[in-house]
Order: sequence, then structure tokens, then C-alpha cells
Amino acid sequence: MQRVQATTPSGSSPSSRSFPDTHKQSSQPEPIPEHEETNFAEKQDGSTSRWRSWLYLEPSEWDILIASTCLKLLLFPAYRSTDFEVHRNWLAITHTLPISKWYYDTTSEWTLDYPPFFAYFEKLMSIPAYFIDPRIVDLNNLNYDAWSVIAFQRSTVIVTELVLGAVLLRFARGAVDRTTQRIISASLFLHPGFLIVDHIHFQYNGFMFGILLWSILMAREDNKLASGLLFAVLLNFKHIYMYLAPAYFIYLLRSFCLAPSGALLPTRFISLANVVIAVFFVSLGPFLLMGQLPQLLSRLFPFTRGLNHAYWAPNVWALVTAADRVLLKVVKRGALDMMSINETGVASTSRGLVGDTVFAVLPNVKPVHTFIITVAFQTIYLVKLWRAPTYKSFVTALTLCGWTSFMFGWHVHEKAILLVLVPLSLLAADSHAYFRTFMIASVAGVFSLFPLLFTPAETLVKVVYSTLWAVLTFAPLHSRVYEFPKSLPFVIIDGLEKLYLAGFPLLQLLATLFPVLTSRKGGASPSTGTNAEAVNGDEVGSGASALEFLPLMLTSVYCAVGLVWAFLRLSVIYIRQQY
Amino acid sequence: MDESSTYITVEGLSSSSRPSKRLSTTSFSSQTSASGQPSRPLRLKTPLSQVRFPQGSVISHGSGPDILAPVPRKHHTLQASESPHWLGSPTPSASSSRPVSPFSLSGSHTWSESMSRRRLNRQLSFSSLKEQEQSLASPLLSAHNEGRKADSEHAGGMGKRWVRWMHKHGMKHWVVPCAVLASVWVKWSIGLGSYSGQGTPPMYGDYEAQRHWMELTIHLPMREWYKYDLQYWGLDYPPLTAYVSWLCGLIGSWINASWFALDSSRGVENPESKTYMRTTVLISDTVVYIPALYLFVRTWHANRSARTQELALLTLLLQPTLLLIDFGHFQYNSVMLGLTLFALVCFARGHDALGAVSFVLGLGFKQMALYYAPAIGSYLLGKCLYLGSAQGPRHFVRLAVVTTASMLLLFLPFLPPFAPPSAILDPITRIFPFNRGLFEDKVANFWCASDVVLKWRRRLGAKTLVRLATCLTALGFLPGAAGLIYSGWRVRLQPRTVANGDDRKTKTGCNVGKAEAGEPAPTLPLLPYALLTSSMSFFLFSFQVHEKTILLPLLPLTLLLSGVTSNEGSETWEIGMLVSNVALFSMWPLLKRDGLGVSYIAMTLLWNRLVGYNPFRTRPGSVLQYLSLIVHTGCLVLHLLELFFSPPARYPDLFPVLNVLLSTPVFGLVWLWSIRRSVEVSWALGGLGQKQGPSSPTEPKHATTRGENGDLGASVEAPAGIGRESGARAVSLGYAQGRRRLVRPRRSGSISSVLSAGSHRERK
Repeated sequence: MQRVQATTPSGSSPSSRSFPDTHKQSSQPEPIPEHEETNFAEKQDGSTSRWRSWLYLEPSEWDILIASTCLKLLLFPAYRSTDFEVHRNWLAITHTLPISKWYYDTTSEWTLDYPPFFAYFEKLMSIPAYFIDPRIVDLNNLNYDAWSVIAFQRSTVIVTELVLGAVLLRFARGAVDRTTQRIISASLFLHPGFLIVDHIHFQYNGFMFGILLWSILMAREDNKLASGLLFAVLLNFKHIYMYLAPAYFIYLLRSFCLAPSGALLPTRFISLANVVIAVFFVSLGPFLLMGQLPQLLSRLFPFTRGLNHAYWAPNVWALVTAADRVLLKVVKRGALDMMSINETGVASTSRGLVGDTVFAVLPNVKPVHTFIITVAFQTIYLVKLWRAPTYKSFVTALTLCGWTSFMFGWHVHEKAILLVLVPLSLLAADSHAYFRTFMIASVAGVFSLFPLLFTPAETLVKVVYSTLWAVLTFAPLHSRVYEFPKSLPFVIIDGLEKLYLAGFPLLQLLATLFPVLTSRKGGASPSTGTNAEAVNGDEVGSGASALEFLPLMLTSVYCAVGLVWAFLRLSVIYIRQQY
Repeated sequence: MDESSTYITVEGLSSSSRPSKRLSTTSFSSQTSASGQPSRPLRLKTPLSQVRFPQGSVISHGSGPDILAPVPRKHHTLQASESPHWLGSPTPSASSSRPVSPFSLSGSHTWSESMSRRRLNRQLSFSSLKEQEQSLASPLLSAHNEGRKADSEHAGGMGKRWVRWMHKHGMKHWVVPCAVLASVWVKWSIGLGSYSGQGTPPMYGDYEAQRHWMELTIHLPMREWYKYDLQYWGLDYPPLTAYVSWLCGLIGSWINASWFALDSSRGVENPESKTYMRTTVLISDTVVYIPALYLFVRTWHANRSARTQELALLTLLLQPTLLLIDFGHFQYNSVMLGLTLFALVCFARGHDALGAVSFVLGLGFKQMALYYAPAIGSYLLGKCLYLGSAQGPRHFVRLAVVTTASMLLLFLPFLPPFAPPSAILDPITRIFPFNRGLFEDKVANFWCASDVVLKWRRRLGAKTLVRLATCLTALGFLPGAAGLIYSGWRVRLQPRTVANGDDRKTKTGCNVGKAEAGEPAPTLPLLPYALLTSSMSFFLFSFQVHEKTILLPLLPLTLLLSGVTSNEGSETWEIGMLVSNVALFSMWPLLKRDGLGVSYIAMTLLWNRLVGYNPFRTRPGSVLQYLSLIVHTGCLVLHLLELFFSPPARYPDLFPVLNVLLSTPVFGLVWLWSIRRSVEVSWALGGLGQKQGPSSPTEPKHATTRGENGDLGASVEAPAGIGRESGARAVSLGYAQGRRRLVRPRRSGSISSVLSAGSHRERK
């Protein structure tokens, strides 16, 4: 029904021409009105009301904004992770200390370990914070949790997330298929990942993904210099976006700095280089001049952590670690006694999900291995991107770069899955294959974020919200792109995927009931059963507490299966896609 | 759908603009799909060239008189669309997918053309009559379509847009589950906040009271329940609450016994026990209140479109005051309200005994349900009168027996075979505490408001006050109750009817007497108004009222509100929204004390956006709108004052008192309004019934109704009520528009009846 709308003038980037599906247009018997619509839209574009169109929100867009804001307001008193205190401490650091001491302060254990732009950002926010309640920015006022600081910090998340909202609006306005893009935009703005990580757990991902999407939008609108600029800015906000840097590098080099024939365009290259260097200079310059760069970098890249996080991020290593655990059981039973057992590995397993992972049976993994594997995989996609430097190819390669890092990276945190889910959403409605990948990855990815909120009160919040989001996102998109599987292997794959998705409710049921049942049985464990954050080594338990980690381990492994599968799926689709 | 929707591009002609094209598209295409009418596709498929004439020219060469003939308009007092629909006539609802009445049939081709275009332009295809009339009168107005389109877009709320979106994207079966899930989410999220008395030893608050009851019911024998340490939150609710508390306590202490250990658990506050307590509220709400709401919507709005029903459900599910009190402040009001609602549903389906039992259960859960008792009692009495001398007394006895039996069953453990005769006094004295003050805290009722000037407690003794309060209360609910009884008596089935019934018996072979008792009385549409009158009069005038009891008048008011879909200009809409916002506002001191300020703001915004209400619209159109503007501004100003200034030391209660003084007149107004509406509706019910009596022509129609749309309950009886007065008065009221849609099809079997039947079928 929406197809009538498919003719709004697009951002008219050459790369996005692959979008307009001709069959959609041909299904329209009367194309006449489209002209009028086009004229109208052109008039709009040409007129001076560009700003008005920027600010103008349709009622449905107001609806989403108001409703989501109200819902987020309700979450003010919800659980907060230590990240909340981390950010409060950074407010205090940037407000009370001179810039030369920012990266040296150790008053709190939560030292500043984000790049300078984020520190500037905190500095900016600390000004209103001081006027609201001076105790917020008191450096020694650790673990301050008055209502004022909660309300202030929570509202900064909501306000800064408007960047994301604005960019998503721009995405929808200039899209070829506006209705679909509107669904995708809305789904991104209301993404349960943001709700869980930003509005409950507490971080500023919405803001930063807003910048990332803005950069992608600039790429779509063929303004690649701006795209590069914004990405450089983003890198200086949070360095985790380096996962995506290779795709940016190749894309900008190939499609901006080189002519299609392969000749270098020096002016473009120099302008891009200057822009990026300028951004980095603004960010790092003060620290460079003060000679603090090594200290800063040592804060940003602490290489002292283990392969897995306390709660295994659902990636390849989670599967490998789980395989190791299973093999250990087998070996212990004497079935495979020829294999040597690493004693520290055995100790490692008995401690549950502790920071540093040492395998008992399998050979150990070192950071350099993970690095090599990541680079090897990324090279494949980058070669493809080099050959087909279109916008869509770029977004796919971007997603896959992030995904590779997530899959094989060293000490990956589960929150990093957002790096995959956000750009992947942009591709969701391209075809059924993409949609299916998106669906599996989203379900598994969002589910893998659930253990972040381990308190019983938030269980319902995250589960119900994610379910609603899934229904309201998947159902309309599904009806747009559905194709039935055409051959037997695909039928089987289709069935297996459905079976996999059906397993999630059961898993959630287990994860919910397990603590209740074990606490009844044990009776002695008074505190929260499944605290993933607090398990850092000191809570060494025996059999009973090992059982406590079972739901976590299951969640991690089950989600890893889906994410690895979706990763392979997208890789194959990308490699085989003709651009 | 897709095929038909492609024709919609017609709409692009009329200088349409970005915002609402899509929306208009749907409503139109769904109309087309809903219609099996031959003329309709014809209208749509006309060659574009013909359609593309400038508006003026179409009109000018079209048949003028047809267009410019005045469209009959409802009388302004009946314009609120909810009464006709509870009387059984489908009203033009903006979100319904049913085709508009076929008054274009006689018109010329071009006329229908312009009609359809106008409908497209307006996007809310067939909104209010007023709007249609305007555009009929001045077709050239379409030049300003863009602006007005934006207006009408804003007229609908978020809920309406969402329901429409869901239908458009093929997810209509998901609407109800999603609405329920969303409401559960909102409820639980409110529950993340603090509760009444959190962290305030030694007495804590309502949360601790409920928890304490769970604690004492599982540890003490029943006879001790109403006696144990009364100073510390002694049990003062009726037995059903005690039984439910017992069950919750049992499950809770199975999970963790320390939450409900006798005495030692007083003031237990930890995240797990809080989660458990919140869960008990959520579950009891989900088990009792949500199904009751769903049934209500299905029954009372049975002859409205699916979208209207869903919208009504959404509106009812997210009533902010109830959610904030139950899930924020912590109480179990929704159980009592749900049981009362279930009683209403039963009455509408004709299961009076079941309804009575349900209401008794509600009473047994929370004595507050007494506020409804006059209305419900007089409805049932009125029905007995309506049934006439033969059936009536039998029905009365049946109801009396059932009610008494269920009441006795509830109190069974405190009655003689199981306890000494004096034991019954314990719960009774606890439940009805006449030894407390005239009012507690600051409550927006008559006593508290006038106490500012009159100082009642200084002038009159406690006994006099009780008597005075009782008299005033009785006087307050009398109009509603009397209306129900009197109307029931006035439209009673005459002996002739019985004969007529015998007639039918021979025809259809069913037991008429049973059928009459098993169907709702025609006075049913009066019931919500009477409930509102009686509960509001209790709230305003009775002794010992809490501010939370405003929830009771709010329930019938929200029910009335849920039936209104064409917002603009409807009196019920204006009054309902005003009062529900003011009710929430009157709760502010309480919510502020509980630390629920942010939730209060969020829920107020959310709900008003959901239903699409904005008191600060640019140009208020009526007195009511001016009033609502003033009141809302007053609320806002009070909030701002409270935010920036602290009250002077002499008057620490300044803001609560100002709150009371602002809220009470509004509540008084709605009380008077409910009386006026009951009079109007009861007059509409039986106005001409006296002379004609329930004559035979209505009966077959009655039967057709049932056959045609399969709706039960209200829709069945109500058409009969209307059919009776299908003569002169209806027309004189300007009622023809609404009437034609209902009556003509059924009588003549014209195209539109086929249509409506089709749409009914499609809805299922």
C-alpha cells in the first residue's frame, strides 16, 4: 500500500540508485500524481523553507518523540550500572581539574578513559550540572546518588539522543522508499539496545551513534568530505568506533580520493587528509603540546585484560570457550586421556566466568591471533568494497567490519553488538535475505544485552520492551520484503532459523526462573543471583555458584550461535551481491 | 488492498502535501475494501482526467441543489456521540473503516466525485458532521486544505494514529496484544519508582499496610485478622482483600520467608521484596482488570468499528491516575474496579445474577465500591420494574438471593457456625470507621474545600457532621438512582407486550420471559452516568474520603470517554478530559510525597498525547474549552509556583489547599453534568415510549439486529429503544443523519445495509 510513496525524490546520490525497484513503480497504473508530488517536493526543496522542513515534525514523528521521552522518563529510577558513577566522576574531573590533569587523576577508580572530545563533552555538561547541584561535580563526592544527579544525568542522555533522532529524520526524509525508511528510522530511535544500554545501564551511545549515522547519511548524500570529518569526530568521542575505521578508509579512498579510473585526485585527497588531521589536532592537540600523549594512550588502550569479558560476549570465542569447557568434562571422565590438560585452565573454569580465560584443553589464544584473524576477515570485505564502492556496499562492509571485530576481537564487551545492529538496520529492508539476517542478529544481539540488567525489577522492562519492539519492527518489514524459500536447502535453513528464534522465549524463561529456584534450593545466597558485573574474581564459589552462571553461559552461547550464523550469512550475501 | 489503493493517487491532485497523504490513503482504501457496494468502485475508478477538474468547476457543473442541501445536524445536546452509540446507532467515527452512509446515491456522479475527494483531502475520511457540512457549504475551502489537514491530523491522538498504522501494515491482530503489552510495560516502569512510605519509619505507608496484611494473614488464625495490633496497619478492608493477601503472602513466603515473617518483617524494604509486591499488583491487575476492560470494550462498544474498540481499549488501559496510584503509590484498586466493570459487562449481556455476584466481590474486595452501589442497585431494581409484574418480582428475588448468598459466603469465616456471633462485628467496625475525622489530609471534596471558610469541625459536632454528610450524599446520588428506577418503570413491559411476546413465542419458539430477563434493560445506557453521579456525590459529600477515591468517579468517566472518537466539539470529550486531568492534578500532593513527580509528568503527557487532547489549543471554540483552558492554566501556574517558591511559614499547606480549591469546582461541575446527561438520556430513552409502548414493529427489527451483526448485549436492546421513537421526535432533533444509517438499511434492505453487514462480517 505504501508503494505509492516510493517516488519521493531521493537524496540523489549516484550510489543509491540501486534502490528504486522498478517493479514497484510498474505496479502503479496511474503515475500522474507522482509528477505533482515531485514538483511539490522540489518546490519545497528549492524554497527558503529548508530550515522549516528541518524543524517540521509530522504528528506521527511527534508521537514517537513524546511517547519515547515519556517512557524514558519513567525509567529514571531504574537500575544504574557503575557506568553512571563513571560518568558522574568524569563530570567532576573535567569540571574541577585543569585540562592537564584530566588523564592523570585517580581519585576514583573510574578514571577517564575516553578520547578528548568526550572529555570536552563532559566538561560542557558539567556547567549546567554545577548550577543544578554543585555536589554533582564534587570530585571527592564518590557514589553520589541523590535524585538531582540521577535526574540530571538521565536527562542529558535523553537530550543528547536527539542527535540520533534528527539524523534518523533526515534519513527518512531523503529516502527512496520513505515508508520503509521511516519504519527503520523509528525502529532505530526506539531500539531496545539503546533503551537497555543508555537509559537503564547508562551510557551515551544514542548520541554517538547519532554522529555515526550522520556520517553515513553524508556518505549517502555524496558529501564524503563531511562523512570523513564526522567519522573522525566520532573516533575522538569514543575509540571503539575504530572497529569500523577500515571500511571508512577504503571507501573514502576509493570513491572520494580516486577517480573511477583509478587515478588519484590530489586535491580531494589533501582536503580529506587535512580535515581528518585538523579534527585530531583539535582533539589531541592540547595533550600533544603538554606531552601527555603516551599517558592518554595508555588510558585509552589498556592491554591487560583477558580474552573474554566477565560475561562472555556472544562471539566466536564464547563458542570456543564453551567447547573447551565441554571437552574438559569429557577429558576428566577419562574418555580422551591422551590429551594434556592445562592446570591453570582447569582452575580458570572452576572459577566460573572470570576475567582472564585460560583454556584447559584447547590451545590458548593470544591477542595477536585475534588481531590476525580479524584483519584477514576484514580484508575480504574490503577487497569487495574496493571493487564496488557504492553507498550500499559501503554500509554492508561497514557492518561486516564491525561484526568481524566483534566476532574475533580481544576482550570484546557485549555492548559492542550495537556497532553491528545499528548499521545493519539500515540494510534491513533491502531484500528478504538482508531482512532475515537483520532479524536473527537483532534478536540474538538484543537478547545478549539482557544480562547487563541483572536486577529482578528490570527483567520485565527489558523483555516486554524488546518483544514489543520486535513485533512492531519485524512485522511490517517482513510483509514488505517476504520471499518464500525456493529450494530444499533454503527450506531447511528457514525452518532451522525459525526453530532457533523460537528458542529464545524458553531461554528467557530459564534465565528468569533459575535464580528463583536456586535461591530456594540454596537458601543461603541472599544477594542478587546473576550479577555479571560483580563477579570480578573475588566471588569464588564452588558447585552452587558455578550453577549460578549456567543461565549466563547458556545465554552467551545461544546468542553466539545466532550471531555467528548471521555473520556468515551476511558475509555470503555481501560477497555474492552484484553492485 | 494494494490494487485498490493504487487508485488513491487521485488525491495527489488536490495540491496535497507531505504530512498526511499516507494516512488518508489508508482510510480510503480500507473503505473501498470494506465495501461490497457496486457504486463505490465506480466512483473510484473514474478516469483521472475527469477527476482532475479544478474543484470549483466540478461543483459548479455538478447538480447544485444536491450538494448545497443542508445536511441534517444533531441537536447540540446530543452531539456528543456516545449516547447514540450506546443506544445502538453507529456513529460516524473518524477511525472506523466502515463506509459512510450512502447519501450520495441519489446525487450525481460528479457530486460523489467531490465527496470522495473531499474525504481524501481531509484524511480523516468521515469525521464529524460539522466538518462535512463546512466543506459542503464552501467547496472552495479546499484551497486551504493543507492547513486544515494539519489541524485534523492533530485532532486525532497518537493512539488513533497508531491503531491506523497497525491496520495499514497488516497487523490488526497485533493491536490488542501490543496494547496490553505496552500497558503492562508502562505499569511496571511506573513501579520502578518509589512507593508510598518508602524509607519512612516507623509507620511507612500503604505499601507497608498491604505487605503487613500478607504477613498477618498467613501467620494468624482468621478470627485474629481484624484484631491483631490495630495500631500498626490493622486490617481494615473486607475479607476478599484478606483472602487475596493470604494467597500472596503464602506464595511470597514460599519464595523468601523473611519477607513476611510475623512482626520481624515490619518495614522490610529490599529490591526483591519490592519486586514481588509489585508483581502481585501487576498480576492481579492483569488477571482481573485487563480482561474486564477487554470485555467491556467488546460488549459496550460492540457495534463500533474494530478500530474504535481498540482505541477505546488503549484509552482505558493507560488511564494515568489509576496507574500511578496502583503501580506507583501501591494499591490494588484495579481489582475492585475490574470486578465492578465485569459486573457492567454482565449487565450488558443480560447476566444480571452473575453481575451482581461480581459486584459483591468488588464490594468484598474494597468497601469503596459502595460508591457505586446506589447506581447498580437502582439499575437492577429498575430492571425488575421494567420486566413488569410477572417477571419482575421473580427477577428481584433471584437477585436478592444471589447477592445475599455471595455476601454471606464472603463473610463465612466470621459467621456463627465458624465463629461466635460477635465475631462479625470485628470486620464491620474495621471496614466502616466512623470514628475518624471528616476528611483526611487535603482532599478535593466539598467538605475540605468549604472548610477553608466555614471550619465545619469547629462549628458542628462529629455526629451532626456524619448525619449531614450522609444526607448530602444521598441527595447527591438520588437523581441518578431515581432516574434509573423511574425510567425502568416508565418503559416497563406492558401486559400487551407479554401477549406480544407470546405471539413471538409461537413464532420463534423461544421462551420470552427468560429472554427478557436475560437481556439488558433499556435503561442500560443510563448506567454509566448514574455510576458517575453516585460515585462523584460520595466523593464530594461523604464522610472520611481519601483523595485516592477520585478513582471511582474516574472509572465511569473514562468509560464514557472511551466511546468518543470524534473529539472536537464533543461535550463528553471536553468534560471527560478536563476532569481526568484535574483528577490527576488533585493527586499531585500525594504523588509528590511518594516521590513520583517525574512519573506524574510523564504519564500526564503520555495520556494526553495518546488520546490527542490539548487544552492549550490556539483558539478555544466553546465555553467548555475556555473553561478547560483556564483550569489547565491554573494547574500549570500552581505547579510553577510550587517549583519556584516555597510556601510562607504561616500556611505550610498553601499549595495543597490551592490545589483543592481548583479541583473541587471541576468535580462539582462534572457531578452536575452527569445529572444533566442522565436526564437527557433517560428522556431520549422513553420520551415517546409512553404513547406507543414497545410496539410490535420494533421486535422484528430487534431480531434482525441480532442476526445481522451477531452482537450481544447493549446493541441488541438499544435499537429497540430507538426504534420506538423513530417517529417525529427523532427527526426534530436533527437525528436523521444518525438514524438513517441505522434504521433505513434494516428496514429497506438497501445497499447500505448490505454494506454494513459486510463490514461487520469483515470485522470478524
